[in-house]
Amino acid sequence: MKQYWSNMKKMNSFKLLFAGGIFLAAAVPVLAQDAEPKELLSAIAYHVPANGVPYLLVTTTSKLEKRLLPVPRVNFNVFMDADSIIISKGITDAEGKAIVYLPGFIRQAWDASASHTFILHTEAMKGFDETQSELAITKAKLLLDTVAGAEARTLRVRVLKLEGNEWLPAGDVELKLGVKRFGGELLAGEEETLTTDSTGYATAEFARAQLPGDQAGDIILVARIEDNEQFGNLVTEHKLAWGVAPRPSQAGNERSLWATRDKAPVWLIAAAIFIVVIVWGTIVFLVMQLIQIRRLGT
Amino acid sequence: VETTLLSIQDKAATKQQMVEELLPRQFGRRGMIWTAILAAFCVVGAYAYYRQLKHGLVVTGMRDYVSWGIYISNFVFFVAISLVGSLITAIFRLANVAWSTPLTRIAEIIAVSAIIFASIIIVVDMGRPERFMNLFIYGRIQSPILWDVIVISTYFFLSILLLYFPLLPDLKILARHKQKSNKLFHGLYRFLGSFWKGTAAQFRLSERAINILCIIIIPVAFCIHTVTSWLFATTYRPGWDSTNFGAYFISGAFLVGAGGVVVAMYVFRKVYRLERYITPMHFDKMGKIVVLLCLLYLYFNINEYLVPAFKMKKPEEQHLSELFTGSFAPVFWFAIVVGMILPTIMLLFKKGRRPLPMFIAGIMIVVGAWFKRYLIVTPTLLHPFLPMHDVPASYLHYFPTWEEWAIAIGSLAGALLVITFFARIFPVIPIHETILEQHEKDEQF
Repeated sequence: MKQYWSNMKKMNSFKLLFAGGIFLAAAVPVLAQDAEPKELLSAIAYHVPANGVPYLLVTTTSKLEKRLLPVPRVNFNVFMDADSIIISKGITDAEGKAIVYLPGFIRQAWDASASHTFILHTEAMKGFDETQSELAITKAKLLLDTVAGAEARTLRVRVLKLEGNEWLPAGDVELKLGVKRFGGELLAGEEETLTTDSTGYATAEFARAQLPGDQAGDIILVARIEDNEQFGNLVTEHKLAWGVAPRPSQAGNERSLWATRDKAPVWLIAAAIFIVVIVWGTIVFLVMQLIQIRRLGT
Repeated sequence: VETTLLSIQDKAATKQQMVEELLPRQFGRRGMIWTAILAAFCVVGAYAYYRQLKHGLVVTGMRDYVSWGIYISNFVFFVAISLVGSLITAIFRLANVAWSTPLTRIAEIIAVSAIIFASIIIVVDMGRPERFMNLFIYGRIQSPILWDVIVISTYFFLSILLLYFPLLPDLKILARHKQKSNKLFHGLYRFLGSFWKGTAAQFRLSERAINILCIIIIPVAFCIHTVTSWLFATTYRPGWDSTNFGAYFISGAFLVGAGGVVVAMYVFRKVYRLERYITPMHFDKMGKIVVLLCLLYLYFNINEYLVPAFKMKKPEEQHLSELFTGSFAPVFWFAIVVGMILPTIMLLFKKGRRPLPMFIAGIMIVVGAWFKRYLIVTPTLLHPFLPMHDVPASYLHYFPTWEEWAIAIGSLAGALLVITFFARIFPVIPIHETILEQHEKDEQF
């Protein structure tokens, strides 16, 4: 029996050593892999909001656990045109994003050319190497207007690009046309997207009749170019009196069961008064009887 | 002449004996302990309410979703039990049910104490009780809450009058037996009834007043509980959205009221040794009434659950599942089985309608009825139409805090204390009416 246990112990020790060896052999490359820096995916996008200052959106992400996840708190520098002008030094937020508004001091350099290149440089950090990415843009304009004299309400968008000192039509540009509604944008026409022709124009029939507008019946139309390789992201807005001014509900001002206390239905007031008078009149009568009983006894 | 004289002497002796037996008595040791226990519960309840006033309703388990907890359950319970005054006194009196005479005052005092505490508990449920008067100043006549305020105050005054008018002849008897009461009580009897001389004119006026009261209190009593049911039924929510709620509440109120009277009958009979006046016949008859009321309430319960269960709309399904098989199932089945089915089975048999089984059945009905009110109020509030998202965990369930329990139990103890003090000061069985009935019986004999 003793011999048996001794053999078993030896066998178990051997198995344990063997398993440990296998584990180490498997784990070392894995650990070694973990120690290697991961790839940081940095990107920069150009945005021209409606009636706002153009800005650059910096995003830092990485492919982690087979998903593209944000990498927060990455230090970066943004340059314009071959590292000559530093626009911003910053750090991405918890969502791995940062907004860089084009500062006033680059105006001269900005006006000097129709196209510019933005260079994003992220600094090395724990687990990530430094990266560099570029974005070349051409200045463009997005114009939104109505077509006068058309049978139906028609909208016309025009895209112009700057070449030298001249604004020229930009053809084959995909854009969206919408109406601001409940914090989002409702499709203004029938089609999801429009494409400009060689003259830079795109037209659409306004398909949203009787759309509630503001107090004056105005609605805000929005034309939007998204992620265009040449022009970036452009937005323009146009206010039109094509909506319907809301008529405030009169429900609370009429006599009803759900109105304010001074607007109770007459029939309800009459019924309530009738019942209260009958019942409390009886109570008063009974108290009078009691007084009479008292009088009879004194 | 001798026979007549003997008969008169016998009558006088019988009357004297009845008066002696029916006059209120001093508390014994058990009475003192009982009163002390009730007072202690009231004091703890008052302290809990002080804490609620100091810290606000946050000391309760009520949150945004369950904003009506055991306070409102307790309120509905008190309103329900107060209906018994109209059942025993008014309906039986108008129907010339002679055997109910010994039970009328018990029913009236239960009604008065219950309606007092219904009013108190509704103020307790208010987060800002100092704004109570705003109900009257800014109340909307369109709101069932204001209807409830009006009808409760009306019912309170009518119940007081219905208690007071039949008490007048007894006050004279009490004042005459000065040696049986202390100075304070004697002064009270004189203050309340010294003007009662028992003249024919006074009796005529009193009888007429009582008859008018009996007629008017019935619709008001129906209103009080119907309006209370409308507080729920006018709200579009699973479990409350019913056109049947008024009748459902009234049938339940009659049952719990009758159960309460049965319990009080047994206790007063035992404590005051009133076996001659509250006889097994009274228990037997009350037992039959209770069976009828149990079956009636059971019918309305089946109606209330079967119809939505048949349609099984999604929110109703969640609510019904919670009641029938979910977290509320133990309380639900307790209320149905113990509060309705078992008493019905017990009281169907003659042996079950004897005093002690009746007392047990009465306790079962009253306890079951309290939990039934809890089930009417709370599960519905935990099942709103819109899902409960992004809310603290405490909003998703409700269990009363110790403050709520203390206040609820304190209010129940307070109602019992009012009944106890009343029984100490006034006769629980109408002396004058009982003597009168005895004379009528003798003359018939």
